[in-house]
Parts: sequence; C-alpha cells; structure tokens
Amino acid sequence: MQIVDMFKLAYKALIDRKVRSVLTILGITVGSAIILSLIASSAGLNAGISANIEKTGANVLTLRNSGGFFASGSTNTYELSQQDVTYLKSIPGVIAAYPYYSYGANIMSGGQSIQASVVAIDMLALPALYNGLTVAEGSIPLLGDTTSAAIGWGIANPVSGTPIGLHEMVAMSITGIKGSKGAVSYAVLASGILAQYGTALFANIDDTIFISLAAGGVLSKSPYFTGIYVIVDNTDDVVTVQNTITTYYSNNVRVISPGQILSSIQGITGQLTVFLGSIGAVSLFVATVGIVNTMYVSVMERTREIGILKAIGYRPKQIMGMFLAEAALTGVIGAFCGLALGYALSFLMGGMLGGLGGGRVAFGGGGGGGMTIVPVFSTGLIVFSLVFPVILATIAGLYPAWRASRMNAVVALKYE
Amino acid sequence: MTMAQRSAPSVQTIDVTKVYRVGHVDYPALRGINIKVERGEFVSIMGPSGSGKSTLLNLIGALDRPTSGRVIIDGVDLKKLDEDRLSLLRNRKLGFVYQSFNLIQRLTSAENVEMPLISRGIPERVRRSKSIKMLSAVGLTGKANKRPAELSGGEQQRVAIARALVTEPALIIADEPTGNLDSKTTREVVDQFVQVNKGYGTTILIVTHNAEIASMTQRVISLKDGLVDKEEYIQRIDSYSMR
Repeated sequence: MQIVDMFKLAYKALIDRKVRSVLTILGITVGSAIILSLIASSAGLNAGISANIEKTGANVLTLRNSGGFFASGSTNTYELSQQDVTYLKSIPGVIAAYPYYSYGANIMSGGQSIQASVVAIDMLALPALYNGLTVAEGSIPLLGDTTSAAIGWGIANPVSGTPIGLHEMVAMSITGIKGSKGAVSYAVLASGILAQYGTALFANIDDTIFISLAAGGVLSKSPYFTGIYVIVDNTDDVVTVQNTITTYYSNNVRVISPGQILSSIQGITGQLTVFLGSIGAVSLFVATVGIVNTMYVSVMERTREIGILKAIGYRPKQIMGMFLAEAALTGVIGAFCGLALGYALSFLMGGMLGGLGGGRVAFGGGGGGGMTIVPVFSTGLIVFSLVFPVILATIAGLYPAWRASRMNAVVALKYE
Repeated sequence: MTMAQRSAPSVQTIDVTKVYRVGHVDYPALRGINIKVERGEFVSIMGPSGSGKSTLLNLIGALDRPTSGRVIIDGVDLKKLDEDRLSLLRNRKLGFVYQSFNLIQRLTSAENVEMPLISRGIPERVRRSKSIKMLSAVGLTGKANKRPAELSGGEQQRVAIARALVTEPALIIADEPTGNLDSKTTREVVDQFVQVNKGYGTTILIVTHNAEIASMTQRVISLKDGLVDKEEYIQRIDSYSMR
C-alpha cells in the first residue's frame, strides 16, 4: 500500500466527519499555538533585554544605598556622598564615577500631564553611560547651570499634548525627593533636545529630563546622592570591581550590574514562561487525549468498514497505518493552523511581556515606558512546532489504530 | 503456483468443525464438514437458519479459523498461514459479495472497486482504468463517480461484484447476495454471477435461501445442524433461459 493512498483515504475519512475533525484539530491548534507564541515572545524578550544591556554597556555598575528602591526590610541608613565618589574613583580599573539624583516628575503641557523621569547628573557622563546618545538640537547645559536641562525626544515630542521647543520653559512637579513631602514645583529651560534613543539601563531615555548635578543638589537640599554610576575600563574587570565594592561596603550598598539586572529579569520572565508553558502543555495534552477519544469513537463507528477492509485483504499493519495516517493528518493540519495562530498570538504576548521588561528599574520612580518585544522565530522553533504536534497526534492514534487492526473480521462484518 | 496446486480443487474442507463458546456453554456450529468444490464450479449452499452456512463461508473465506479440521483453498492449507498471509490470500484469490453490499459509503463506486487494488500498492491511474472497465462489465457505465447512497440496491450489489472481480480472484464467495433485492434485480444479479462463472471461469460459492437461485447453480450442498445433509447436481438444459 502506498503512503500517498493511505493519506488520501485518511483525508476522505476526516472530511466525512467534518465537525468532529475540526474540533479535534482545534484542540491541537490552540495547544501548539500557545507553546509556540510563548517560546517566540520570551526569546524576543531576551533578545530585547540583551540589546538593552548592550546599548548601556556592560561596563557600567550602579551603586544605590540599600534602603532605596530595592529595600528588603533593611533599616540601613547609609547615604552615598562625595566621599564615596572619591573612593570609587580610586579603585583600580575604574575610570570614572558619576553620582546622580533621580526623581519622578509630571510635566504640565497644554493642560495634559506627562510622566517623566528627572535625572541630575554630570552631563559629561551621558556619552559614557549611553552609547551613541546625541543632541538633536541646542546643547547640553554647562556644569553648574541649575536652570537648564537636556530633555528627551519623547518629552519634546509627546504623543499627546503640546510639543516643547528649544529654549522653552518646562514646568515640572517633582516627586520622590527625600525629606520633602508631596511634590516640588521646578522649572527649567530646554537648552538641548536629545536625539531619539530608546531604552537603556531599563530607563526610557526619551522620557527623561537631564539636569545638572548642581541642580539636583539644589532640589534635594542634600549632599547625599540617589546613586553612583561606576564606569569600569575593561569589561573583564567588572566582576572584580563589583566584588571589591561589595566587600568594602558589606551590605550598606547595593551594587547593580547590567548582567545582574538581566538575570533577575530573565528569572521573572523564566517563571512566567514556565507557568504559561505548563498551561500550553496541559492544553496540548488535553488535545492529545481528544485525539485518542475521537479516533477511538471513529474506530468503533467504523467497525463494519474495518471488517470490509479485512475481507478484501488489508493486512493488520495496513489497517493500523490507515488509522495512524488519520491521526497524523489531524496533527499536521493542527500544527499548521497552530503555527499561524501562534504567530499572531506571539505579538499579543510580546506586548504583555514588554510591559514587564520596561519598568524603570535603574532610576527608580517615574512612569512606565515599555520596551517593544519583537517575537523571535528560529528555524528550530518552527520545525519543532510543526513536528511535535504531529508526533503527539500519531502517538495518540496508536491505541485506537491498534484496536482497529486487531478486530475480528467476522465480528466486525456483522456489526450494525 | 505449482502444478500440484493447479490441479488441486478450488475448495476442500476436511472434517471441519467450529465450536462457539458463550460463557461456559459450547455451541457447535459445524460438526465435521467434508466438501470439495472443483475449479470453475458454481455451487450453492442451502440450509435453514443456524445450519452453519455462514460459519462455513467464513472459514472458506479465510476470515475465521476452524476449531478442528482443515480448510484448503487452491491447494493451500489455511492452517499454515499467519494473519498477514491470510490477508494476502483473501486479496489475491478471493472475492466477497454480501447481502448488505458492504460498500464504504463515503467513497465513490470507482473508489470502492479500487480498494483491493490500493492494498496491493497499484498506482492510481492503473487501478482507475481497471475499476472503470470492471464497472462497465457489470453494467454500471457512467456510475463511477456515484456514491452508494446515490445508487439502487441492485446497482450497489453490482459495485460489490465489480469490487470482488477486479482482482481476478479464483473464488468468489457470496453470502445471500440477493437477500436485499427485489425479484427483478435478483435475476439481474444472478445473471451477472452466471456470466462471471462462464466468462472468467471463476469458481463461485453462493449461500442462498432462494431455491430458484440454487437451481441456477450446478450443484446444491444442503447443510443441516452443522453437517452436510445432501448434495445434488442440478440437471440443467439451460433451465435459466427456459423459464
């Protein structure tokens, strides 16, 4: 018996029971779509995070006092000051240390409130921290200038609200200043507008307003910084430097490296993937049981037909093959439909995971600014998502097909 | 096929018994059948319900195995064949025609006729021309693409006959093939069998309740209570056309 004929007959049998076949195939489709979209979008998320890290540079360490954003019940009150900057610069392998203040802010623009981050930092640090960040218009404020700011592309060109032009006034309501209750009003002149850049160090640069370190000192009325960026000369020394710092401060200070952020985010997305993946696996398992059920009922209904096949000389193996072909065909159709559905679904899921990956981890406060997740479909993934459902379906068909092949011809022919 | 097989009878049963066991009770359906059907013979098997006709047919059709005794088809002892070889034998040497036609409803006439050829792995073009030819031979020209539901009972039975003939079998086994047909169609179908028997020299074994049909065969074997009751040769001076 030729394989082609086996599948042609299987196709005719599936067509004969359209509704049932479609429902069975639907099960496989949904199961494999969920798994496919999960793997594709989490691969996309990882690729996105890696790109983010690369943009920032793997040689940047962030120091924060442990009572800050990452507080974990610690009563530590250590504050980072200029003294620490001096110490950090003295560590071998460190080429620079830039202290910064960061706050959340609301900008009033044409009656609309836009969420933004405000970072007070030595402007000379920007090129070192953000590879390839350039000024689109105007210039960055000079050191000690407390009235000017370099504003992100997204602040200058908001999605809704009035655009802010060069040398225009930016009125902000700043939150998250230590020691002051509520919001503090502050206004700066937009002396420079940064070019469109995107996300780096898990902050959306386009939604950030950079003011001078001196302005931060004025705002905070405090010599204590929110954090310090440490720039290591050689990427290979990052771990050594991190260890030196950690040993020096014991638990008073948190040292965050891009690699650490990456692994912690991957940890979260990994758990999410496992969770959703098990839902997908369960649905695929249910679909497989569905095939067993459909095939079994089909074999029972077609008892007489099996008797006819036996009478006209079909061997047990051929009969088994015919039913396996039906199961496999169910899997093949389900796999292709699953690929299409999974492709669509992965963009939906990419949006969900993107929100998770885009929090302002490094800068603390401020609003959300998601990163765009583009699902990644590797050849291996596509092959897997086409082959795996077919294998599952074929396995599901084994028992019913075996039952069919073992039927007694005489009994089967009498079956009504 | 060896010379010994060539000269052997088409069908031979030697002391064949068949006992069905239901629970702890044995029901003997056949109690020692010895018959011999020569090549090219047209033989009918008659007998009341429960006399063992269908059981005997199933044994000769290699669909079931006897409790004891031997069934020899074309010189081959079925006892020596495993499940696969029995299937092959059915495909190569036997053709079945049933009272209820036993066609596959979702397939067309041509596809039904081709089913035994598909099992042999014969390419689609070759088997299609064979099935069309065979359908024409049984008077179903132009009905190749009709499904069983679109055909009359007589037409369906002729599709079944075409399916039995397409493999050019040595022996056709028919189990009350006219049981579901009216008298006019019955005559047409029996006529078909007579033609096949004469035209191709195919051995035909037909189980029937109908004495008129039996009278058109060459020999009648009557069964009663699982034993051969009597065997009689029909004296025929072409009785069929004389009617």
